[in-house]
Amino acid sequence: MASPGGQGGGALSTRGGGGARRMKWALELSVGNTRSRSDRQGGQGDVVYPIGYSEKPVPDTSIQETDKNLVEKRCWDVALGPLKQIPMNLFIMYMSGNTISIFPIMMVCMMAWRPIQALMSMSATFKLLESSSQQWLQGLVYLIGNLLGAALAIYKCQSMGLLPTHSSDWLAFIEPPQRMEIMGGGMVL
Amino acid sequence: KAVAMAKLILLLLNWIFLCCNVAAVFEDQVGKFDWRQQYVGKVRFSHFDSHMQSSKKVLLASESNVFAALNTRTGELFWRHVDKTGPEGNIDALLQHGQDAVLVIGNGHLLRSWDIGVGGMNWEMVLDPGSFRSACLVGHQGAVKHLAVLKKTVISLHYLSNGHQKWVENLPESETVDFQAVYSGGNGEVYALGVVPNSHLAIVVYSLEDGEITKQVSVEAPWLSSIPASCSVISRGLLTCVDSTTMSLYTLDLHLQLEMTQIPLQTLGLDVDPGFRPSLVSHQPNPAHPPLSEFLLQLGPEHHLLLQHNDGQIVTLRDYKPALLASFATAGEKTVVAVMAPKNKTACSINLFSAETGRRLLETTLIFTVDPNGGKPEKLHVQAFLKKDDSVGYRVMVQTEDHTLTFIQQPGRVMWTREEALSDVVTMEMVDLPLTGAQAELEGEFGKKADGLMSMVMKRLSSQLIMLQAWIAHLWKLFYDARKPRSQVKNDVSIENLSRDEFNLQKMMVLVTASGKLFGIDSKTGDILWKHYLENIPLNAAFKLMVQRTTAHFPHPPQCTLLIKDKDTGLATLHVFNPIFGRRSQVTPPALPQPILQSLLLPLMDQDYAKVLLLVDDQYKVSAFPSTKNVLQQLQETASSIFFYLADSGQGRLSGYRLRTDLSTEQVWEVVIPTETQKIVSIKGKRSNEHVHSQGRVMGDRSVLYKYLNPNLLAVVTESTDLHQERSFIGILLIDGVTGRIIHEAVQRKARGPVHVVHSENWVVYEYWSTKSRRNEFSVIELYEGMDLYNSTVFSSLDRPHAPQVLQQSYIFPSSISTMEATLTEKGITSRHLLVGLPSGGILSLPKMFLDPRRPEVISEQSREENLIPYAPELIIRTEWFINYNQTVSRVRGIYTAPSGLESTCLVVAYGLDIYHTRVYPSKQFDVLKDDYDYMLISSVLFALFFATMISKRLAEVKLLNRAWR
Repeated sequence: MASPGGQGGGALSTRGGGGARRMKWALELSVGNTRSRSDRQGGQGDVVYPIGYSEKPVPDTSIQETDKNLVEKRCWDVALGPLKQIPMNLFIMYMSGNTISIFPIMMVCMMAWRPIQALMSMSATFKLLESSSQQWLQGLVYLIGNLLGAALAIYKCQSMGLLPTHSSDWLAFIEPPQRMEIMGGGMVL
Repeated sequence: KAVAMAKLILLLLNWIFLCCNVAAVFEDQVGKFDWRQQYVGKVRFSHFDSHMQSSKKVLLASESNVFAALNTRTGELFWRHVDKTGPEGNIDALLQHGQDAVLVIGNGHLLRSWDIGVGGMNWEMVLDPGSFRSACLVGHQGAVKHLAVLKKTVISLHYLSNGHQKWVENLPESETVDFQAVYSGGNGEVYALGVVPNSHLAIVVYSLEDGEITKQVSVEAPWLSSIPASCSVISRGLLTCVDSTTMSLYTLDLHLQLEMTQIPLQTLGLDVDPGFRPSLVSHQPNPAHPPLSEFLLQLGPEHHLLLQHNDGQIVTLRDYKPALLASFATAGEKTVVAVMAPKNKTACSINLFSAETGRRLLETTLIFTVDPNGGKPEKLHVQAFLKKDDSVGYRVMVQTEDHTLTFIQQPGRVMWTREEALSDVVTMEMVDLPLTGAQAELEGEFGKKADGLMSMVMKRLSSQLIMLQAWIAHLWKLFYDARKPRSQVKNDVSIENLSRDEFNLQKMMVLVTASGKLFGIDSKTGDILWKHYLENIPLNAAFKLMVQRTTAHFPHPPQCTLLIKDKDTGLATLHVFNPIFGRRSQVTPPALPQPILQSLLLPLMDQDYAKVLLLVDDQYKVSAFPSTKNVLQQLQETASSIFFYLADSGQGRLSGYRLRTDLSTEQVWEVVIPTETQKIVSIKGKRSNEHVHSQGRVMGDRSVLYKYLNPNLLAVVTESTDLHQERSFIGILLIDGVTGRIIHEAVQRKARGPVHVVHSENWVVYEYWSTKSRRNEFSVIELYEGMDLYNSTVFSSLDRPHAPQVLQQSYIFPSSISTMEATLTEKGITSRHLLVGLPSGGILSLPKMFLDPRRPEVISEQSREENLIPYAPELIIRTEWFINYNQTVSRVRGIYTAPSGLESTCLVVAYGLDIYHTRVYPSKQFDVLKDDYDYMLISSVLFALFFATMISKRLAEVKLLNRAWR
């Protein structure tokens, strides 16, 4: 169960770098491949252009359009991940009950820890969202989702009675009052 | 094969059964933390069992109505029978013949015969009413088969074998004649001797066969007032009396004469010490034969004489001067006299003399060392026996003023000592033991002021060296002891090596007994470490023991003060002593010329860390002890906040006083309880060393109900003077001792005392007898401040505008109780239990949880959350709650509880006729490993796991390396 942000980030990165690595070798006969051109430029700059090569690249707007949409979609996935978790969390909360035993405690700890962890690695998530145009909105949604998750965990703690919100929780810290008078005596001996 | 299988199953079942059958104390824990000492009380009668040569029993009948047999070799009890307290069980006489011992009990109410071999009862006979005068065994023709009991108006004869009455006769002229003694010389006649004071002596002779009066005479004796005090029968029926006013001996032959023969002591060359009342002792070795013709005459506190009656003449056989005590003893046919003479200040010598000739027997000297902290010898009980060469040997049991029994063998070896004073403990305290010498030195080092760096370093090094030395010695001792078998290792506890253990579980018990003897007992083993006898203690003295300085202020010695007040004169004395060593302190206590009403131990300390003791005299003036300038100054500063209260049960007055700066007092409040209807029975405040950890109780909804913890609160118990079962009542008054404000008042109608009260924290528990329902009932009152604290930092009784909430609930208890106390722990975190001493001898540890006025009748979610037990009117006694399992504590009079260094553990001492000490764990032992914790198993498992990890790690590395090579 990796975090949704991390999962999304990982998928994106393999998509970017892995494309090149996947091919062991390639014979390129077609024109207009950006990749092969760069290869050629880097590897053998002064090689004579083969037949049918055109200096001007043919723009393929349709593919670029879908790519951008995909990135945007992935970014929204990342941003909405925490929010999507909430119904699931609610269900787990309901199922685990309010008794204090090892499993509900573990659940609550997990529920509290995940948003906190996500909030701590906020900057990394923002880097992921950099490529998106709606970066700030997505960031905000992501933040709100995580905050909601944390609030849910706190609510669970509260309903389990783990939060020191009652006066009884501070009872042990009350010092015995100081005695102002000294008194003694008894029956006449 | 099937048989083997069946056997195996049976074995398994047995094992399971044994495992399930577990009580509160495990069998191997018996006697591990607890000990019991059984006592008899002050000895009134004693008899050595002499019917068998090899017998080692001594029978004791005590003033505490106890009849027991002791082992003369060890001093331990063979058996003991504890009768009712008070005059009902009073032992009037002890007669022994052969295997039987006959007791007359309860002013002649009962006659009981015991088999002394096993301590079982042979028979019991209820006698006709009438106050008891005297009893004797009656023999005839060499055999003893009867027993005569003389009462105020009747004389009766009983068979020894079954107690049946042979005959009973009215005494003639019993309205005028006071019959006081009965005598039988073995000739078939029983003599009843009576006296009309300062007029004449009446002698009535009864026939043994049918109780017919065979003779009745009256003899002029104007000087005689009491027969047992001044007369005795010697020889063949010769009544011999001594009179101090006429300075004469009188003799009268009971068979022949009608007039007394006067023999002035001067004619014998004797003289009575001025102011001394002389007395006579005769000896009748066998009831079937007449007494000896020799008798002992005491003429002064240190002057005894052995006289003989010979053909109408009194002859002096031997004059013992100085002689403290003299006593007859018979072995076989020989009768001897044992005489104790003072040797020097610390020792007495005892010698044997032949009764017939008065000659001293050779090699019979025995030295008795007088304990400087004990009393003077009071009684001599001699056990004489015939040695193989037919000479007389003997052992003595010396009874001293402080109720101590010392059993001595020749030539002065003390075989055992019994401190019977401990059967009547009045009050006690437990004092922490001092740290070891080295620890104390280390602590003292930091306590003192620095005097140069170099010397400090040297001091530190030297003390560390001492500690190292002590540690090595300790290790060596451990090693040395480990080789010995376990039973031989004795923990020799002496005052020198006493030191506090790491959990402060071992303490010094300081006990004050009614006889005025103080004891210091090691709480771990029960050994008496010191004793101190205070002489001249008045008979009805009131004692109050206070710890002025604990052991925490090294190098100042700990200090205890005992206030002894004579209730008749009201005058009091102070005894200041060191509770660890029992020695009188260097501090001289102040003289108290005025009668003292009460004392008050203040939390103020003088510059030597001794708490200040205030003594209130009958003019309501206060004197301080110690009264140094420093103390007086402190008192002046704090006088306005020092209050005390006095309760006078006789006048029904309860009054509170405030201290003025000039140490006079002013009355602040007064509550009068009309003495016509009720009287104050007891007043209970809170214990000063009590700590309450939690200031409130958590409710089901997690809010807090704060406790009303008023340190000045007093619980006053009153009982109605009218004891009619319809009109009797008891009252509980909760009064603030500073302001006199009545916080709460509860009256229990149709109830009767005795009321036992425990007052602690915010609750009062009391027990009474309900005359309406004819049962014992417990009632609990709890006080709460409510949901808010009025003032959480300081508590002042003068500033308390709100009255507390009061909750009360009552329960039925299936037994009557003797005493009650609450457990006490260091910080007050552990839950509380009530320790209830039952008349059956059990000590019950009753959880306070069961006595909780918040126990609901209808269970709700909230009450379940709070862990409240639903209300049930009956409190049950569970057998596993008895903390003393089968170690019955007879006649529990008090229970003392003290905290130990462990929060879970409370030390308990129950005292009465017996003394019992144990530890209780009201919330189980949460802060310490159990004593049967398996260190070996755990550590071996740990080590095994550790090595297993090491080995498997290595194996994994090898495997990885191999894989990499592949």
